[in-house]
Amino acid sequence: MSERSEETPTLDELREMTPEEQMIAGAATDGVYVVHRRDRFPIPGTNAEKRAERAVALCFVIAALAGVGFVVAFVAIPYQWHLPGTPQNFRFYTPALGGLLAIMLIFMGVGLVLWAKLLMPEEEVVQDRHEHAASSEEDILMTEATLSVGLADTGLPRRSLILRSLGLAGGAIATVPLVALVGGMLKKPGKQLFHTLYAPDAATFPDTNGMVPLVYSDWRRVSPDDLLPGSIATVFPGVRALGPDGKDGVHSASSPTLLIRLRPGQVVKPRKGQADFGWPAENPEFLAFSKICTHAGCPASLYEQQTTRLLCPCHQSQFEVLDDAKPVFGPATRSLPKLPLGVDIGSDGRQYFHARSDYKEAIGPAFWERP
Amino acid sequence: MTEDFDVEGELGFEPAVPAVPDLPPRPARTKRRGLRRRLGAAAVLLVGLASMGGAYAAFAGTSGASGTTSGSDNIAAGKQLYETSCITCHGANLQGVTDRGPSLLGVGGAAVYFQVSTGRMPLAGQGPDSERKTAKFDETQIDQIAAYVQSMGGGPSIPQGTLRDQDIAAGGELFRLNCASCHGTTGRGAPLSAGKLIPSLNNASDKQIYSAMQTGPEDMPIFSDNQLTPQEKREIVAYVQTLKASKDPGGNGIARIGPVSEAVVIWVGGIGVLMIAILWIGAKTQ
Amino acid sequence: MTSTPTAPLTRRDTKPRTPQGKAAKWFDDRLVLARPLRVQLNKVFPDHWSFMMGEIALYSFIILLLTGTYLTFFFDPSMADVVYHGRYVPMQGVTMSRAYASTLNISFDVRGGLVIRQIHHWSALMFLAAMLVHMFRVFFTGAFRKPRELNWLIGLGIIGLSIIEGFAGYSLPDDLLSGTGLRIADAIMLSIPIIGTWTSFLIFGGQFPGDVIIGRFYIAHVLLIPAILAALIGVHLALLVRQKHTEFPSAGRTEKTVSGERIFPTYAAKAGGFFFIVFGVTAALGGLAQINPVCLFGPYNPAQVSSGSQPDWYMMFLDGSTRLFPSWEIRLWGHTLPPLFWPTVVLPGIMFTLAAVYPFLEAKLTKDNAKHNLLQRPRDAPVRTSLGAMAIAFYLVLFLSGANDLIAKNFDISLNAMTWGGRILLLVLPPLAYLVTYRVCLGLARHDREVLEHGVETGIIKLLPNGEFIEVHQPLGPVDEHGHGTLAYAGTPVPKRMGQLGAMSPLRHVRGFFYPVKEKPEIQALLDQLEAGESEAEVETPQLTD
Repeated sequence: MSERSEETPTLDELREMTPEEQMIAGAATDGVYVVHRRDRFPIPGTNAEKRAERAVALCFVIAALAGVGFVVAFVAIPYQWHLPGTPQNFRFYTPALGGLLAIMLIFMGVGLVLWAKLLMPEEEVVQDRHEHAASSEEDILMTEATLSVGLADTGLPRRSLILRSLGLAGGAIATVPLVALVGGMLKKPGKQLFHTLYAPDAATFPDTNGMVPLVYSDWRRVSPDDLLPGSIATVFPGVRALGPDGKDGVHSASSPTLLIRLRPGQVVKPRKGQADFGWPAENPEFLAFSKICTHAGCPASLYEQQTTRLLCPCHQSQFEVLDDAKPVFGPATRSLPKLPLGVDIGSDGRQYFHARSDYKEAIGPAFWERP
Repeated sequence: MTEDFDVEGELGFEPAVPAVPDLPPRPARTKRRGLRRRLGAAAVLLVGLASMGGAYAAFAGTSGASGTTSGSDNIAAGKQLYETSCITCHGANLQGVTDRGPSLLGVGGAAVYFQVSTGRMPLAGQGPDSERKTAKFDETQIDQIAAYVQSMGGGPSIPQGTLRDQDIAAGGELFRLNCASCHGTTGRGAPLSAGKLIPSLNNASDKQIYSAMQTGPEDMPIFSDNQLTPQEKREIVAYVQTLKASKDPGGNGIARIGPVSEAVVIWVGGIGVLMIAILWIGAKTQ
Repeated sequence: MTSTPTAPLTRRDTKPRTPQGKAAKWFDDRLVLARPLRVQLNKVFPDHWSFMMGEIALYSFIILLLTGTYLTFFFDPSMADVVYHGRYVPMQGVTMSRAYASTLNISFDVRGGLVIRQIHHWSALMFLAAMLVHMFRVFFTGAFRKPRELNWLIGLGIIGLSIIEGFAGYSLPDDLLSGTGLRIADAIMLSIPIIGTWTSFLIFGGQFPGDVIIGRFYIAHVLLIPAILAALIGVHLALLVRQKHTEFPSAGRTEKTVSGERIFPTYAAKAGGFFFIVFGVTAALGGLAQINPVCLFGPYNPAQVSSGSQPDWYMMFLDGSTRLFPSWEIRLWGHTLPPLFWPTVVLPGIMFTLAAVYPFLEAKLTKDNAKHNLLQRPRDAPVRTSLGAMAIAFYLVLFLSGANDLIAKNFDISLNAMTWGGRILLLVLPPLAYLVTYRVCLGLARHDREVLEHGVETGIIKLLPNGEFIEVHQPLGPVDEHGHGTLAYAGTPVPKRMGQLGAMSPLRHVRGFFYPVKEKPEIQALLDQLEAGESEAEVETPQLTD
């Protein structure tokens, strides 16, 4: 390692130097010392040098060609999606674009790196850190004084009236945007989370005593005849008016309900106070539970019709349907809310399901206000 | 093998060809033997094995002529097959045998078709659920067993005709509402509780998908024609088969299982490749 | 020292004549750039490979900005219903949000849109993954120690914010998968005590899903968070430039200096090249591997779900923790504290807090208040390394549990067994990882000292006069009267085999990464000649040499 000079050479000295020496001198001025520097190819024009040069150039040429290829592929390859059975050429479009783009970029990059590694001089450079290692005692003293005198100049330490009123003003300025933003976005949850669209409404549904009919996603009413033993169906409240969340019965996020028809011999152990929620009220064959998992709100709908377990696909909570959808495995803590089922005779003489009332519990994931 | 042919002679079937190569592979039979021994029915085993082999040979040979067999012939042939391969677990009158197999009364030909054509029946071993295997019977034989089971207890018959409908998109909506929660939006299947599995739809044929919806095999719920009309079922079939047959527009589908395979790719093919790149860039050259 | 062909020493005019010279003068007259520019050009970067992991993250961020800007030209962040009539037949006639429809539009109707969308998503995964790798490099080598604690904290902030940024972006297409994720996010907000429902209603503008969330996530995803991220990354880099890089100890390296290559031209070429390589690898992924095929998932519908629903990999540890957490719910005075709160709010809070306080904790416990510019080899800080291994083991169990349904399905394991296995491993594996790593570190460190004391095994067996066989050891340096090496351990790699001898040479870190460099004989001869000539010249004009 050579001697390290902090002194900048004079202009005259510099003028006597080669450009390389000037560069090294300049670096040394800033505390950067070139301790090892060697041309990779000290003898110009060797075969090895030409090979290296050609390798770098080849990379750049490949990159350029891939770029041309990209433009050609972009225009020429069909990209329109087609049904199976017709030509599926579109499947080559994105891979061709991505592949050519990758070739272009990677060869550009490899060319640059090779250039640096093969052709640029080998260097080992050491840079001093002392520049930012620590502040000098003098600097600390003077800066401290600058700050304290400046503060004293404002008079704040003495003028408590200004200090306090300034604090008030600052607080106000900080609070106002917060209030404006949060205030604008704030919505009162109220009791919204405790209700769904199953709540009876005499005005809308006079035929069923105000009770909400169960429908499929295409608004067809659900009949007990529709389901064979060992069936499930996703049903919704047949409310066409928009609810508080701006959605009708089929589209509201609180609506989805899983209607289950048990197989013969599967006997339910009902929840306290909800023994007659199934249909028929005695020895129910049909049960309806909220499809929204009480854990994190995914539709829990993987139903094992023989072993009567209901799984949630998100976190694998498992509910035992014969135990009135009580959680038996996984992170869920609460049974799925149960919908009280009733049946009325439609105008066509068939039986149809309705909800005798809303769920007794809030559906979906638990929250602080929920008892 | 001679024993097989003897028994077959007794049953009144003539082998059209000495069809030894058409017999099911031996390992399958050894498995059956193990199962039967566990069940403690050694006598049944001998008869069953022998007659089954003979029946295979017979039907493998006569299948070409099946088009001409009448309905009652079908039922009779199905009865024979039933009595050789199914009776042990499902009982002489399809009433089921406790702890071995459920009653088949009322399951219909569709259930027979699904179970036998996907190789789930005859059952190879006890487990949380049966898995798809190579079918042991050909289409004709399945039709015959199905006809027999249908004749005994009724129920949905094997779906016939074209099972796909035009409106793929409507099928997609129904698929996502009724099927995707278990089979997944890309039909890859999933696990159920305690070791049971939801099968992938990869190898399922139109008829299998349709009959599965009709009959609810194992833990799958049943979808009656009132709940999902035949047209809706055909739409679902059309969507599933389109989904499976359509090529991925964005390159390799990496198993179409979503973020998990993407995680593997980014760590191996992304970070892994770039680690090699930085090793190369950081390495010194002369 | 060899040099570029020596130019004739002409006196330079003060007036530049070339166009570039004139331009430089124009700027220098106005901005006085000569010195600051030179300082920047001469800044030294260490060129150890492990220092480039952070660069992957930086470049991924740039790729994200580029591709993301492209996507905004086509994406419509609206939740209004629209009936799809685009080119993808299996969705034709389906009612969906405009956000989902425009994502399909980018994928199927915009020429080349799909590849850009996929590059964007892959580079998002890459960004997070590179940051994680970079963080662990910094952790295991002790690069976070004084004076760099601030940059450690900023880095953690970038990671945390990027996870939120990634989740917001993942939610934008409004497909069934991301909608399911959004619903879980809502449940997580609801689980926060006291303010939970208010938070949920504030963010969703009412009850889930409402019709504003995509628009809000959009502006957060394309403006708010990227702006903060860009600022944080800027500060992260500015601090790096001001404090200069750390480096591994080696001969001639001290706390007071940093060594490597100057930024111009070598390092700039390498770093620039590496940017293109990162972009290229991302482009290859974007073209060859399909990511987030929302056309297969369908539009979001709260009644629908797909089995095997997972978030992107950087959120998967949270999904895993949620799956493993037992069903413990606290009900007090008519209020509920749902089980979801612990694994999704408290746990990541603890993880980030632990990471944030670690540098200060370590300094306090080890009473180490010194500034450190030289890195430590992981084996030389066994407690820290073992703690890191413990953290990785913990994270890995959570991460794999986030995919436990797919593992159960593909390896035919019971799902319930996977859950219980995860719960047990989460408690057992981290301490085990600590113990194993600690032993390994001690073993490696001891071996280093043994070699320094006794030398390298040569493989030569010698028969002593008394009949004993001994293996001849090659000492690494001068020996004392007992034949024991006198070199002290200096925190640098110790050669363990004969082929690695010469590793202590100052030129070791300059030459040969995978294997020792040997010059070709003819070139070496020429070099010797040249050097001989130069040393003569040096007598006349003393200059900086190596």
